[in-house]
Amino acid sequence: MIAWIPFLFVLAMVVSTIWLGVWATKQSKTASDFFVASRQVSVGWNASAISGEYLSAASFMGVAGLIMKNGYDVLWYPACYAAGYLFLLLFIAGPLRRFGAYTIPDFAEGRFDSPLFRKIAVTFVLFIGFFYTMPQMKGAGITMAQILNWPYWAGIAAVGTVITFNVALGGMKGITFVQAFQYWAKMFAISAPVFVLMSVYGGYSVTVSGNATGDPKASPRFPAESTIKVPGPEKAPANSLTYRDPVVLGLPAGTTLKINKAAALGQNKEGWELLVFDGPHGDYGSRYTEFAPGKEIAVSSDARLLSVGVGTDNMTTPTKLEFLKAVELKTASGMPVPNAPANKAWLSPFGPFTGKWGYPLLYTYSLIVALVCGTAGLPHILVRFYTNPDGRAAKRTTFWVMVLIGAFYLFPPVWGALGRAVMPQLYANSKTDAVVIALPTMLENKLLGQILSGITSAGAFAAFMSTFSGLLVSMSGALAHDIYGRILRPKSTPAQRLVAFKVAAIAFGIISMVLGYLVETFDIAMMVGWAFAIGAASYFPLLLMGSWWRGLTKYGAGIGMLTGGLLSLAAIITHMLLDKKILVWQLGPLARTLLEQPAVWGVPLALVTMYIVSRLTSNHIPHDVNLKMLRLHAPEEMGLSKNYIDH
Amino acid sequence: MDKPNSSRMVVPEHEHARLAHVVMRKQASLSLRVAAVFLFMLFGLPLVNLHLPQVAGTNVGGFTLTWLFLGVIFYPVTWLLSWYFIRESNRIEAECADWRAVLGEEAGEPLEPAGVEDIQPAFIAEDIQAAAEHEKELHRGEEGKSQ
Repeated sequence: MIAWIPFLFVLAMVVSTIWLGVWATKQSKTASDFFVASRQVSVGWNASAISGEYLSAASFMGVAGLIMKNGYDVLWYPACYAAGYLFLLLFIAGPLRRFGAYTIPDFAEGRFDSPLFRKIAVTFVLFIGFFYTMPQMKGAGITMAQILNWPYWAGIAAVGTVITFNVALGGMKGITFVQAFQYWAKMFAISAPVFVLMSVYGGYSVTVSGNATGDPKASPRFPAESTIKVPGPEKAPANSLTYRDPVVLGLPAGTTLKINKAAALGQNKEGWELLVFDGPHGDYGSRYTEFAPGKEIAVSSDARLLSVGVGTDNMTTPTKLEFLKAVELKTASGMPVPNAPANKAWLSPFGPFTGKWGYPLLYTYSLIVALVCGTAGLPHILVRFYTNPDGRAAKRTTFWVMVLIGAFYLFPPVWGALGRAVMPQLYANSKTDAVVIALPTMLENKLLGQILSGITSAGAFAAFMSTFSGLLVSMSGALAHDIYGRILRPKSTPAQRLVAFKVAAIAFGIISMVLGYLVETFDIAMMVGWAFAIGAASYFPLLLMGSWWRGLTKYGAGIGMLTGGLLSLAAIITHMLLDKKILVWQLGPLARTLLEQPAVWGVPLALVTMYIVSRLTSNHIPHDVNLKMLRLHAPEEMGLSKNYIDH
Repeated sequence: MDKPNSSRMVVPEHEHARLAHVVMRKQASLSLRVAAVFLFMLFGLPLVNLHLPQVAGTNVGGFTLTWLFLGVIFYPVTWLLSWYFIRESNRIEAECADWRAVLGEEAGEPLEPAGVEDIQPAFIAEDIQAAAEHEKELHRGEEGKSQ
């Protein structure tokens, strides 16, 4: 079924974005316009544009979805996404703007007089960029699946292609205006429907506190008879259902599954049944086949699965059903929704998200470090500080960015809380990331529901279009400027670099689409958190130490950045492969925590490595380090700034 | 070589180290003060959640206190910190706009960053000044040679 109204909204958003881009492109002629948008953008425009670029699919869809899925712990994501700017403002924005470096590689070269270091620094633009584009593509895929019923890959292909061509043809000056427009589109789309929904289903505090008043161990239940669509094991872990309460499920013939508890399959006068035991059980005789926990069970005819659950005495382990083939399960009205955390666990700190490996405090701290330090390490954010006319304007811009994104982040948690109260079936199908798109369709008034869903769909499009565009510009710019323009063809003309930029944009667009296709089972906000973690352990230490410690040498900075960044990247990829069960290592819970959230060791590791290596190579401190420090910190009125950008 | 953009205020190379030190110190102390408040809040909240669950779970208008803080109040607090930082930081920049004033050369003040004299006995300030004058003479000597 195609939801026509949302589709038209999305189409309008896409067309207006492209039109604005084309219109603005007509006004950007030179190569320097193309790369940085001449430094003439006013504070208001620039703050809107930075916010527009920053609020990605993770902020628009992912935070709401992850809050619905996990509750309180996820509030750290929006809070720290916003707070990262404060850190940026305190330690990095001013110095970097004064220094005249507009990308991290510019800074790396200017600060250490080392073109080689620039080349090393540029590789991380690509690492972080790809981690950030994957979730944007997932957002595109599930939005299109929700409104047009397209397969996941088709949404990615369509949206990815449109944005890639828009970037290849438009460049960044176009994007400044488009991004600013898109901030306001997103702000409207996340806020306006919420007020309508709250007027129907109850206010923010009502939906949050609904979890406090009921039975703390209870979890949401299906409001009506429903079908749970379980994918096959290739989509692991989405092929697992976890029940915390007793449940009765209809299994169709041909189901194969594994259960984490002992089970028995047999026939009585009501038909076939699969009994799941929570403890010792009686003798069922020869009429029933018994299965040890974890054994593969094949159900040859339609059967009922019966499981008691946590509610019974001496039972604390939830029942986990892992399906080995895609299957559609029937579940009656009033049955518990699988994969939904219990009320208290959802509402309280240290719930299912940070507590999943048993080290909730460590997990929380590591997440905070990643998000707060990582904002400074995002390649597409720092560029925009350069478009301020001076350092004071840069600071004012940062303040307004914090206001704009902070105001935005008040809303995603409301969506998460409403989603849990009104549409718990999203838990069962692992579709919590689609909550902002799907929730309005629950309204009694179908037309209003479709219109609101259209507004949020258009907002989601604005989100992944703006962020994806910004990242493509940064990544292609890095390639055209640094890898092509300085390494491969140092004598290339600006026109040739522009061609390289366009080719790179198309190539990176295609790679991002392929990667996006592979990450369907990961939560959007988590993936963005990982991009932050890599940035926090690579670029952030470079910028912090480079701005504030004159003893830093290029060797210290380079080795520290590589050590922290690459080990964090390796840890996250290992975690992803373990999660997908491509790697089957038996690791302890502490190791899993540190792999999933590496910032708590990655950032200090990078800082300490920088310190030690710099001390050992202290004869390589640049001879004019004091002038460089002055450029970084002295007021611009002293006239020491120098532009490191070459047009 | 690096050419300053403005001939109005050419900072002589031998002053770079001292000037950088003074300016960085002022800005770093402001940044660290604001960061301390911010980090106290950021890293303190999980500890409150862990050790004082009753406080964190207090019902405030339907929310738990900790949800209300992290989901709502947190944002205006960061705005306040940012506003304070920008105000102070602009003040520091205005103070530092003239490098001679920063180093206290025209006024002939002691060459340590402002505030130090409060805790220093007078003779140390005199020594520092004497040493600085000695250094100045040395530089004058060098310049003479190179001409």
